[in-house]
Amino acid sequence: MKNKTILITTLAVMVCTDIVAQETATKKPPFSISGTAGVSYEYYGLSKKPKGWTGFSPRKPWNQVRFNFSPQMQFGKNFSLPFNFNFAMKPTNYAGPYSGITKQSFGQFITNPMNSFGLNPKYKWAELQLGTQYLNYSELSTGDIGVFGAGFDLRPGTYSIKFFTGLSQQGVNFFTGPPATNGAYKRSNWMFSLGKAKEEKYEVAINFVKAKDDSTSASPPPLLIKPQEGFTMSLVSKVFFNKGWYVKMEGAQSIYTKNLLLPLDVTKASFKPFIEAHTSTVKDFAGDAAIGKKGKNLDIGLKLKYIGAGFQTPGYLFMLPDRFDYTLNTRFNAWKNKTGGYKMNVVASAGQRVNNVSNTTLKAKQFIGNLNWFTQFNDHLSLNVSFNNFGFQAPGGINPYGIKNVSNDFGVNPTYTWGNDKVIHLLSLNYNYSKYDERDVITGLVTSNNTHTALLTYVPTFLTKDLSPDFSLMYFRNSMPGFTLKLITFSAGLGWSAAKKKMNFRAQAQYNYSKTNSFSNNNNIIASLNNDWKVSKKLTWTTFISTNQFKYGNEIVPNNARYLESNIRTGFQYKFGK
Amino acid sequence: MKKIFLIAGICFTSHVCLAQLTTTLVVVPQPPGTLINWGTKELTYIISNQAGSVIRNFIVKAELKESNGTVVATTNLAKARVRTIGPATLILYAADVIPLEVMVFTGRHKTSLERTGKLPAGNYELCLQLVTPIDFLPFSEVRCRNFTLAAFQLPIPMMPANEQVLDAEKAQTSVMFRWTPVAPRPSELVKYIVTVFEILDRQTPMQALRSNQPLLTKEIIGTTQYIWQPQLSFAKTKVWADDIQADSLYSKEDKAVMDSVDVTTFIWTIQTVDSRGVPFGDGNVNSDGISEPNTFTVIRDRRKIKTGPPATILYLNSMKNRRN
Repeated sequence: MKNKTILITTLAVMVCTDIVAQETATKKPPFSISGTAGVSYEYYGLSKKPKGWTGFSPRKPWNQVRFNFSPQMQFGKNFSLPFNFNFAMKPTNYAGPYSGITKQSFGQFITNPMNSFGLNPKYKWAELQLGTQYLNYSELSTGDIGVFGAGFDLRPGTYSIKFFTGLSQQGVNFFTGPPATNGAYKRSNWMFSLGKAKEEKYEVAINFVKAKDDSTSASPPPLLIKPQEGFTMSLVSKVFFNKGWYVKMEGAQSIYTKNLLLPLDVTKASFKPFIEAHTSTVKDFAGDAAIGKKGKNLDIGLKLKYIGAGFQTPGYLFMLPDRFDYTLNTRFNAWKNKTGGYKMNVVASAGQRVNNVSNTTLKAKQFIGNLNWFTQFNDHLSLNVSFNNFGFQAPGGINPYGIKNVSNDFGVNPTYTWGNDKVIHLLSLNYNYSKYDERDVITGLVTSNNTHTALLTYVPTFLTKDLSPDFSLMYFRNSMPGFTLKLITFSAGLGWSAAKKKMNFRAQAQYNYSKTNSFSNNNNIIASLNNDWKVSKKLTWTTFISTNQFKYGNEIVPNNARYLESNIRTGFQYKFGK
Repeated sequence: MKKIFLIAGICFTSHVCLAQLTTTLVVVPQPPGTLINWGTKELTYIISNQAGSVIRNFIVKAELKESNGTVVATTNLAKARVRTIGPATLILYAADVIPLEVMVFTGRHKTSLERTGKLPAGNYELCLQLVTPIDFLPFSEVRCRNFTLAAFQLPIPMMPANEQVLDAEKAQTSVMFRWTPVAPRPSELVKYIVTVFEILDRQTPMQALRSNQPLLTKEIIGTTQYIWQPQLSFAKTKVWADDIQADSLYSKEDKAVMDSVDVTTFIWTIQTVDSRGVPFGDGNVNSDGISEPNTFTVIRDRRKIKTGPPATILYLNSMKNRRN
């Protein structure tokens, strides 16, 4: 805690120093500063009736303070110093290595994924990377994981040399609780990339990524997870042609030890000195490719991706292995209007994913198709049509029937506008039909789940006033054998400006009626107020207040249970520079 | 003479009885395909030495076969660990009786194990027997058990699709979640936990997943759909104005589009657990049963005059123009 105080004090001093620096910057053009710094506080409250009812859990921390400090200082033409400090005072980790942690050491605070402390001084083509960095080398090597450490990114001419090393997580002791802490091993990461690139012509790079757990770093050790070691190398290339055509490819090989506690095994694939195989080491590969065209009025592309069943990279923690997928995407504009723009915009994609590729008998197939078609017929009328489909099919295996789930969604949304020089009215109707069929693998019976949604929106825009009201009414009905859910929502909002448009308010109230089967209905009222206040040219004060009152009917026991949630977020943002 | 034969017979029988150890083998019907994940739950081998019996040294000989009798793996007896049992009961688990470092796998099973850590899906028979060290003579009955290996795959979040953009007017009432089931369907009942996290400003989706308190954690059994009634006033969490990162990633026009909408982005995933609440997942690297997550964005149109394509399309197009 003492360390945290020192850190915050240091930051505050830095902010003040920067403000002074910025004041004098106008006199010294070689120095400039941009970016922001801010602090925000969030309060969450929850009260429930009757007392002792456990039916609704808090959704946010009771009190949370967050800081951000992200100025970018520019010294002359060649040297820049960007900061990226974002951190919160209270750990709220639910998933991942810090799951359940309440009191954290300074090391854990620094490497907790909720906090970032990064500094990237750059001189011409040489960038030093210090502190927390989320580095994206490629889609199959690393890109997801934040690492606290040091490294560099050098771009002399058309070459690029990157290296970074540090910790992605500290050791966390297992604790039965309450609250339970899953525990984690301290993980060190290394990454290196060597490449050559010419803007809008080509890029080629070879990447190496490694991570290794320290098996002695947690005591007692985690129950479910074993210390691991992973090494991935990938070759990535991109070529850009005339008229927006491009080809991208990447091939990657991973060697991954799932349990470092098991003995070394000379019969298995090693890649010394980077990784030495244990009996739990696996070696597999992955590849992806994309070809397409990107233009102002037409995008088209084909994407292929294969991830081997044993492919694992420390840079993407949740990558699903054992799959092959391909997708065709397109976006185009058509039907020119009088001003040279387009009346029609279409976005579509279709593809298939095969899961469990390594198993000849258990392959599961998944079809995906999406279409969004917008047409502006004239100044008054527009229509948006959408269709989404996915189907999932897998063999039965030991079950009499295989899995077959099919989802179809169709939406239509006409919008009509009319008005005069004082007010423009917008009326929009949005109807959506969704059908979801699930087959039971034991009986073969298909359960059909149907959903109808209708939304009517009316927005009058007053051209001579600062008031912006909006109203919407929504009806939702979901049904399947033995179950029906009905929802009706009425919502009204009002936005207005004050203090010479320096203060922008928005208030919203929403009533929701919900009813399940023959139970008596639930009632829900939500109200919120937003305010963005430009206190000065550089300082903004944002406030958000909301309350949510929910009262059950007799759908749950105890009957007529209720809860009241309240949430306040307020924060200041200071903008550096002009 | 007959008496002498009788006494000799009794002595021989009692010697054999002393030598015989009683063994029991239990293997769950559907263990995970990843052999290193076999622990105390998947395989138990109980060896009982009768009271008063002598202390014996032994090796566990294991043979793994496919249902058609093809041998998949055998114990390398020369490398196997010599164990000792006194007049007691000894309980051994998977790591003791089929340690990967002394099992010799063959053919496609060896390839599969080296590549994926898993054996191919199918029906198998595991037979265990105790043998003497040095000369490897059997001195217990062969115990065999059949089991089925199914390469389970965790659910895939499907709806909202990854990076889908939803209208706030609709999303404030309900958001429909759909995902694929665990495939193939396991014999035991699994629970799906739908979790949704808000991605705060200046957070990456993965940061939000690994550090934020979830807005929703809902257990679902028996189906792969959940209708979430968020009961949220979507606060504007993505602040684009004055953002250096946004300046470098988006054109001025695209940033103007983003500044005209209130954006709240979420990351959602499915955590699968078994009936005891233990994370499910065969070879799931994080051992938490968490599937690869998806993100979705809820936007509210803040344009003064709302003409032309809906804000969702404008926002989506701007995101697609993002410079890589």
